[in-house]
Amino acid sequence: MKLAKTVVLNGIAVAVLMVSFGLTGCSTTAGVEASGKTGWDDQGARILEKKVVFNNSGLKGDIEIVDVKSAMAGDIMRAQATLRSRDKDTLPFQYRFDWYDANGFEINSGGGAWKPLILNGREAKTIQGVAPDPRAKEFLLKIREPD
Amino acid sequence: MKNGMKFLLAAAAIGALSLSGCASTIQYGDAGSAKPLSTEFGSSDLQQIAESMVDSMITFPPMVELTTGRRPVVSVDKVKNKTMQHIDTESVTDSIRARLIKSGKFRFIDRTTDAQTIDEIKTQQDSGLVDKNSAVKFGQQIGAEFLLTSNFSEIKQKVGGTTDVYYKFTMSLKNLKTGILEWSDEKEIRKVFKRGTFGG
Repeated sequence: MKLAKTVVLNGIAVAVLMVSFGLTGCSTTAGVEASGKTGWDDQGARILEKKVVFNNSGLKGDIEIVDVKSAMAGDIMRAQATLRSRDKDTLPFQYRFDWYDANGFEINSGGGAWKPLILNGREAKTIQGVAPDPRAKEFLLKIREPD
Repeated sequence: MKNGMKFLLAAAAIGALSLSGCASTIQYGDAGSAKPLSTEFGSSDLQQIAESMVDSMITFPPMVELTTGRRPVVSVDKVKNKTMQHIDTESVTDSIRARLIKSGKFRFIDRTTDAQTIDEIKTQQDSGLVDKNSAVKFGQQIGAEFLLTSNFSEIKQKVGGTTDVYYKFTMSLKNLKTGILEWSDEKEIRKVFKRGTFGG
């Protein structure tokens, strides 16, 4: 009887370990996306069409994209996003900017690197990206949990 | 009954194992991954430094003005590596140079391939194989207007099971004629390692 109890307890411990491995082992790397596209209004002034997409409902509760803007430095497009943490704890994220030309082709396709971003509890922070060359007219900001 | 229970538990454990996938595997990783594996200088650190330096340089207003309508010629100096690690710093400056060239704002001369260049021009001039009209002559290369210099330093602190490493990469663009630093910026990276309770 005693042996059986030990076996059951061990079994439970193993099962709990396995479940926790399973949970942490393959977290999703999908995240939030914000995009901005350069356009021109009737007067010829530059406007930015913005869009925010949440691909991960879990992340939606953690992070909020407060603002997305863009400007030019000479002929190079720059982008800035303001993020706010909705969590009271310090959370790590990763982000990257992908750039597209006027025809929607990605510039340096697949060449971007993820950058770490640490948001303290309820903190708002801005992140910036600079286009690799003057062809860029559109950007896509991706934010995800660390891989 | 006892045996039946044991069998069930074993089956559950095996099932859980196969679900969580603990077998050894090999696969392609993301070259742009920002996952730190140690406090040592890694691929993501290199990419962050290169991107940050280039972004800063091509958006700095005096640089925007300088590169409007012309592409200044720049030479890259070796990085002064003051860290305790052996780092291929040429790889860092290569990434920075490649990005700057691709931005279309600057042109570069490369002193590391001078020996091969001299060999090739000598062959063109002296071997008698090359048409004199198309042979490249000595003394026609363009001199660099700017020199890109960089410093790389590290501050490492270790207390108990915690290792804290701070990296600082400083880069400057020096006007070779006037000696003035036209642009400078630095990128800081902090990496912290905490030893877990169960080794590792």
